[in-house]
Amino acid sequence: VGGRLGNIDEEDTKRVVRSAKDKRFEELTNLIRTIRNAMKIRDVTKCLEEFELLGKAYGKAKSIVDKEGVPRFYIRILADLEDYLNELWEDKEGKKKMNKNNAKALSTLRQKIRKYNRDFESHITSYKQNPEQSADEDAEKNEEDSEGSSDEDEDEDGVSAATFLKKKSEAPSGESRKFLKKMDDEDEDSEDSEDDEDWDTGSTSSDSDSEEEEGKQTALASRFLKKAPTTDEDKKAAEKKREDKAKKKHDRKSKRLDEEEEDNEGGEWERVRGGVPLVKEKPKMFAKGTEITHAVVIKKLNEILQARGKKGTDRAAQIELLQLLVQIAAENNLGEGVIVKIKFNIIASLYDYNPNLATYMKPEMWGKCLDCINELMDILFANPNIFVGENILEESENLHNADQPLRVRGCILTLVERMDEEFTKIMQNTDPHSQEYVEHLKDEAQVCAIIERVQRYLEEKGTTEEVCRIYLLRILHTYYKFDYKAHQRQLTPPEGSSKSEQDQAENEGEDSAVLMERLCKYIYAKDRTDRIRTCAILCHIYHHALHSRWYQARDLMLMSHLQDNIQHADPPVQILYNRTMVQLGICAFRQGLTKDAHNALLDIQSSGRAKELLGQGLLLRSLQERNQEQEKVERRRQVPFHLHINLELLECVYLVSAMLLEIPYMAAHESDARRRMISKQFHHQLRVGERQPLLGPPESMREHVVAASKAMKMGDWKTCHSFIINEKMNGKVWDLFPEADKVRTMLVRKIQEESLRTYLFTYSSVYDSISMETLSDMFELDLPTVHSIISKMIINEELMASLDQPTQTVVMHRTEPTAQQNLALQLAEKLGSLVENNERVFDHKQGTYGGYFRDQKDGYRKNEGYMRRGGYRQQPSQTAY
Amino acid sequence: MYSRHAQRITPGNKPGKMASRKEGTGSTATSSSSTTGGAGKGKGKGGSGDSAVKQVQIDGLVVLKIIKHYQEEGQGTEVVQGVLLGLVVEDRLEITNCFPFPQHTEDDADFDEVQYQMEMMRSLRHVNIDHLHVGWYQSTYYGSFVTRALLDSQFSYQHAIEESVVLIYDPIKTAQGSLSLKAYRLTPKLMEVCKEKDFSPEALKKANITFEYMFEEVPIVIKNSHLINVLMWELEKKSAVADKHELLSLASSNHLGKNLQLLMDRVDEMSQDIVKYNTYMRNTSKQQQQKHQYQQRRQQENMQRQSRGEPPLPEEDLSKLFKPPQPPARMDSLLIAGQINTYCQNIKEFTAQNLGKLFMAQALQEYNN
Repeated sequence: VGGRLGNIDEEDTKRVVRSAKDKRFEELTNLIRTIRNAMKIRDVTKCLEEFELLGKAYGKAKSIVDKEGVPRFYIRILADLEDYLNELWEDKEGKKKMNKNNAKALSTLRQKIRKYNRDFESHITSYKQNPEQSADEDAEKNEEDSEGSSDEDEDEDGVSAATFLKKKSEAPSGESRKFLKKMDDEDEDSEDSEDDEDWDTGSTSSDSDSEEEEGKQTALASRFLKKAPTTDEDKKAAEKKREDKAKKKHDRKSKRLDEEEEDNEGGEWERVRGGVPLVKEKPKMFAKGTEITHAVVIKKLNEILQARGKKGTDRAAQIELLQLLVQIAAENNLGEGVIVKIKFNIIASLYDYNPNLATYMKPEMWGKCLDCINELMDILFANPNIFVGENILEESENLHNADQPLRVRGCILTLVERMDEEFTKIMQNTDPHSQEYVEHLKDEAQVCAIIERVQRYLEEKGTTEEVCRIYLLRILHTYYKFDYKAHQRQLTPPEGSSKSEQDQAENEGEDSAVLMERLCKYIYAKDRTDRIRTCAILCHIYHHALHSRWYQARDLMLMSHLQDNIQHADPPVQILYNRTMVQLGICAFRQGLTKDAHNALLDIQSSGRAKELLGQGLLLRSLQERNQEQEKVERRRQVPFHLHINLELLECVYLVSAMLLEIPYMAAHESDARRRMISKQFHHQLRVGERQPLLGPPESMREHVVAASKAMKMGDWKTCHSFIINEKMNGKVWDLFPEADKVRTMLVRKIQEESLRTYLFTYSSVYDSISMETLSDMFELDLPTVHSIISKMIINEELMASLDQPTQTVVMHRTEPTAQQNLALQLAEKLGSLVENNERVFDHKQGTYGGYFRDQKDGYRKNEGYMRRGGYRQQPSQTAY
Repeated sequence: MYSRHAQRITPGNKPGKMASRKEGTGSTATSSSSTTGGAGKGKGKGGSGDSAVKQVQIDGLVVLKIIKHYQEEGQGTEVVQGVLLGLVVEDRLEITNCFPFPQHTEDDADFDEVQYQMEMMRSLRHVNIDHLHVGWYQSTYYGSFVTRALLDSQFSYQHAIEESVVLIYDPIKTAQGSLSLKAYRLTPKLMEVCKEKDFSPEALKKANITFEYMFEEVPIVIKNSHLINVLMWELEKKSAVADKHELLSLASSNHLGKNLQLLMDRVDEMSQDIVKYNTYMRNTSKQQQQKHQYQQRRQQENMQRQSRGEPPLPEEDLSKLFKPPQPPARMDSLLIAGQINTYCQNIKEFTAQNLGKLFMAQALQEYNN
């Protein structure tokens, strides 16, 4: 489009402008005529329709209106319509007679026109004061007001547009991103609805599209003509606008309820597109022969930037323009400063390409973005005399004065952070099981490389704060990766491996452990925002846990005291915390510390929402429970697939550790009435298993664990073992560990030990004595282990027995109460509580006795105290009185 | 079929406790007119004096029919019920026949029980059998029969037919070798309370009723015709010795455990009930205080007003302002207490017997050695 437009001659444009004015006004008058007709026959629905069309038409004619002033007839119809509507509104009788559609239309139209007319208030009042005034006078007056009114009109032009414009022009690069983020909650809904509206209007007025197109060109062109010579003024105007907008924003917040309607109006106004003419004319921006200087280029740049964020700005074209500008700048050797500045803006525009935060970048845009950042980094590295920073004011920028160091406004860090976010978004929105995902994942290396470069750059030039931020970014891209190389090196000590290999490994960078250590420590020392430190700690713990450094990980977790206050953190950090806890639990399990593993995983697993808590998917819930908004927010929190922790592995680890704890415990406390469950979830699984009418061979991981638990209950460790470790379970769970074999050996050993304990608990009442050798044969454990386990049980008073050293036997004391005795004990306990309760009833009776009516409370208390001391034995004698 | 049951009954066709007490001594008194003296153990004491029925005489046929009914339809905790038919002669209730209630199934929800009973009685009358409704019977599981349901239905029976009784048949004890059949009636006191339908703590206090005086046990006599007695004598001679050994079994843990478990459940219920009552008491006293405070405040205000010469505040309905909390019905706790009592007696009885058996076994062993 731009090209075609570019070829239009100036004279042509002029000619068109004249006719455009007539055409627009004719259109308007036609519409007004229809409205008047509709008013006459009291067809409010028709009125509403026509009014909307009128608004649109007026929007189209906006540029002309700007020049010519608000046409007299337009004001007249607005005023008349409002009066007419008010009249109808007051006429209660007539309203009742109206059919439903009309009544509805009436109220909508009334609201709309009220709001609409607010912008024309001055005109309308003047019209009302002096309806007969001649059109010319009016026009003059309008000219004065036009600037102001047009500003306001533009304000109405959708919330997002306004904020975009404001933000972009103030802070061309990084700042904007931040702000956007802050704003997006506010803006999102309105944005969406606006988008929808765009569609609507597009489809309904498709017949007039071609016409519009033409009109646009002309209108825009004329606007450009008007504007071009007075850019400075425009700038001032823009500034004024900004101020206005800031004010407006407040109003808007309060007018939240009306927003939708306002948006509707925004739809009407959308043809305003003040920025578009600049864009369209761009390719021609430097007339032939114009000397390309810094000033000119920067002026152009600002012009382009002003179009940014406005509704209907062709973002793709804008990016192209900026790129063209870079080329021009490069061709004309304007120096790196300008190029850097433009590049910053290109990247920012790339990020802006998607108006909606939920959608993600297209691959080609993403590629462009990466390239651009890389180029930018190249320049920055090549020219150490360029200073970039978001705190450099636009006025103090030095883009070309080569004598002094170049200063450019813009923040490379925010760009990179935004890039990282975009990357996450892309990963979130790609189907994780597709080839596409793999393709996207390949970019991860590039992202990491860029982060590394920025890190190097900032280490030299950045403030500590910035360094912390980039370090965190680096950490976030490192912590979840298992360092196979370091792992390999650990396994094969240096002497074994050939030298070349070793060199290669060394060349490829330090161990991630060392790297994490270095980065995290820096953050611990220097960071002042709590969030970065928290994230860094969590990542550090995660990394430790991932590499089986259990004690370091645990100590760090305990020292940080994160467990106490994590609930105050924001959801993403909480998700990170959950992930870390899970990783910690899995790490403990690998080390054979079942209890720690169980404790770490308990919170996550007991809720049954592990998936949600880890940010690995949304639970299916009924629609009432969460609305679209929430869902969107939650969706954005999801962790990309390549960071996922396998949920089945997690559950299996949890259930197996629960089994190893719970089964011996159950056996030990079989007849204890007050026995508590260690793991509710495990019990639930057991119950589910029991409820099965027909027990086939286990299929799923859970069934395997349940079957194994049953075997273990009987002390049958071999069956238990075969259920826990077999082909299916290997494939599903165990092979996912980096050191699968080690884990398996650990597991077998644990199963043997716990089975032995369970066996002793369950069957000790059957034995008088049992030889340790038999036990060691039964459970294939060596004698010292058996000895130690039994000793431990005896010491803990779990097993009433003693060891007979010479014969290597366990002699049972048989002091365990029998079933009846147990029952009797329980009964006694219950009776005890019954008596206690009874006593309390009696206390009450005592309290209300004897006429302490005046200070009943005191008397009652005294009595109570007395009774407490007396104990219940005294009660019979008390009642005797 | 019938002979088997007869076998089991012959040694102790005595009512409830009497039978079990005499069993150890091996008495085989089967006289048709043997009266039982120590009936009811205090339970009867409370109100048997003014009760309409002093003795229940049951036909052997009825006993057999009840046992058969349970054998065929009752299982585990399931309870079987039926109607007793007979006559009142002086202060003696003679039960000469019975028929079971059909087991309920969910398919025939619209089954009319009354209709069925009337039909049954008419049919019985046609064949010239006693058709007067004199009560009902019910089986029990480990003696857990003191329930609200039993109370309610016995009340309605006794309300309609004054002399009706409920026969409780304990199949488990019977299986252990001693027939356990007991006849119960509600005491007149309880009847009155039930009539009032007021189970509040005060009402029960006023009625001076405790769990011991809820039911009265009526002594039972089992009567057979001479011919049957002769037959039984004959059968007893023929019967194998092994059949009688059930009552010498030393295994006790299962039964005792079950009883303890049930007892424990009731104790739990009792505890809960007391807690409920406790809460009620607390609420009442709290409200009393509030009420009192309110009254005092009112009074003060009125005094002030008086001194200022203003008219006193209008009286308000205090009971409306302070609605007393709903007192919990105490009937349930009474029933639970009664049930606990039954269990305790069961356990006592059972353990006493078992101890006897154990001593006997010990003596036997010593003798053998």
